[in-house]
Amino acid sequence: MDTLQHILHGFSVALTWTNIGYTFIGVLMGTVIGVLPGIGPAAGIGLLIPITYGMDPTSALIMMAGIYYGAMYGGSTTSILINTPGEAASVMTAIDGHQMARKGRAGAALAVSAIGSFIAGTTGVVALTLLSLPLAAFALKFGPAEYFCLMVFAMAAVSSLTGKSIAKGVLSTLLGLMISTIGIDLQSGQPRYTLGVPELQDGVGFIVAVVGLFAIGEVFSSIEEYLKGKIEFVRIKGRLWLTREEWRRSVMPIVRGSIIGFVKGVLPGAGATISTIMSYTIEKRISRHPHEFGKGAIEGVAGPEAANNAATCGAMVPLLTLGVPGSGATAVLMGAFIMYGIQPGPLLFEKRPDLVWGLIDSMYLGNVMLLILNLPLIGIFVRILYIPTGVLLSLILAVCAIGVYSLNGNTLELYMALGFGVMGYVFRKVDIPLAPLVLSLVLGGIMEQSFRQAMTISGGNPVVFVQSGICIVLLAAAVLLLLAPVFFAKMGELKAAPEDVDS
Amino acid sequence: MLADRVILACIVVLAAVYFYATAQIPTLEIGDPLGPKAFPRLLGVGLLITAVILFFEIRRAPKSPRAKRSRASAAEHRHLWVIAGVSGWTALYYAAFDPLGYVFSTALYLIGLTSYFHRGKPVANGLTSVLFALVSYVLFVKVFGVALAAGMPPFSRLADGIDVCVRLVVTFVHGVLS
Repeated sequence: MDTLQHILHGFSVALTWTNIGYTFIGVLMGTVIGVLPGIGPAAGIGLLIPITYGMDPTSALIMMAGIYYGAMYGGSTTSILINTPGEAASVMTAIDGHQMARKGRAGAALAVSAIGSFIAGTTGVVALTLLSLPLAAFALKFGPAEYFCLMVFAMAAVSSLTGKSIAKGVLSTLLGLMISTIGIDLQSGQPRYTLGVPELQDGVGFIVAVVGLFAIGEVFSSIEEYLKGKIEFVRIKGRLWLTREEWRRSVMPIVRGSIIGFVKGVLPGAGATISTIMSYTIEKRISRHPHEFGKGAIEGVAGPEAANNAATCGAMVPLLTLGVPGSGATAVLMGAFIMYGIQPGPLLFEKRPDLVWGLIDSMYLGNVMLLILNLPLIGIFVRILYIPTGVLLSLILAVCAIGVYSLNGNTLELYMALGFGVMGYVFRKVDIPLAPLVLSLVLGGIMEQSFRQAMTISGGNPVVFVQSGICIVLLAAAVLLLLAPVFFAKMGELKAAPEDVDS
Repeated sequence: MLADRVILACIVVLAAVYFYATAQIPTLEIGDPLGPKAFPRLLGVGLLITAVILFFEIRRAPKSPRAKRSRASAAEHRHLWVIAGVSGWTALYYAAFDPLGYVFSTALYLIGLTSYFHRGKPVANGLTSVLFALVSYVLFVKVFGVALAAGMPPFSRLADGIDVCVRLVVTFVHGVLS
């Protein structure tokens, strides 16, 4: 009954004209950001934060969340029409989506993508609504030691699941944590690693890092692709709807994609991209016509598109209930919460129910808006793709400068963002994942605080981190996550060895 | 493979520098029992463990055939020079941000970039660059209330001019509506 009351209260917040307007702006910008190459939801939210200073936090967060899930809708458009995913979670959509477009079924591919995204997005919000309160109630049992272990678990998951090498994932996490230690230590008041630069006393702003790593770095990668390759643009042909046969083939992949996406989204690190890979693999494995995959199978679009949208809702669960984001984009959202002086976590449901439920309920409305934007109005967004890539990338770089400079009016931060951009580009080249860095940069301060609080409570005895069941489970899970890939690689080697001998 | 070895070396150097820098942090004997060095030291140890894991990953990885150097590979690396050029041009843009102001520096920056990436269309590039700089300035400064550099005189007069124009337009629209 309580939940129902909260949901209804949330709707009264989400359905004010102001918040409807901000939901619309958010999903509209999300769709555009999804369509644009060289900028993803993390950078989009990061760039928007300075503009939202002074806004009502609920409205601002509703808008930023709209960008996050809206980008998943928009990302499929570029995947289908130009075989270039607008963001990482749309990579799998490109495989069959672009092939469908080349066969003259671009309309059907875009339609199934929008419908699948809508069904999965709405299902995901329902699951988020139902899961939030029980999980938040459970999280109230967490003390500083449990929080520290939870963050270790989240970082271990992101480190082990987002890249090809565990060492590189952990390195990325540690770099983020190291950057988070720059500035005045809040407990002792001592400056750390500031090199005597006054601007560094407040630390390195996460927006500067996000814009650099995810926007400027991505633009550099896009410049490389632009110079190296040819982009083949396929115009939308045919009706923007599905045939009866296509609809029949899409229903179950959408249902399965929604479940996979939500579950994977809840788990830190797994996120939208991995859920799409999993959904695609499952669809191909259980399909009656697996030979069609890679040549334009509609299931290959329906499943992953449903998965990436459900994953965005799933990712909101740990962010809102535990205060621990599980991906780069949700880490930026968490940063936005913190900038408004709001600490996501179980207490948020007690202290700011209007904000939490208003935000969750706005997602129902946002998904309806996105369906409308991405079906009848898709032609308008496609026009963005007609802008010459070189011009588009140049404009994105200028927008990055606006976003960073507007934070504090400080040119040093612009140079830092450029440095992060070069770093992001190099990291992409050498397969060092970026999401763990941003996640740990955002969580670093809270993690150190939890660590020191727990150690102070225990009188400096580290046994405090293995004294409760929750801590033991979380730390064991973290160790397992880090060791599992090594174990599976070893198993693979052992399996391959007899075959080598045979051959 | 070579890249991984370079990363390994960088991690070791970074860990050493980080440990040294951590040792330089002044500590107070009162208050927090752990002090500001404890957590960074933990991270330094983490870096060293990461170096060990990477070392074993490199050893375990299958050896890839040595890449052949050819003229084609030099051409393939053209993008690196372009990206270095864009980075340098962007750094210059940032240097010009405060003295020249947002509008003037952004227009110049975009003209430079679009002249390279969208060749043969000088009029379109120039118009796009100037219009983007002007419209984004009005949008962010006047509508969203974001602070962007106005520039030093005489460039700040451009921002003043835009201010006057915006006020005139607002007054005109207000007059028409009322």
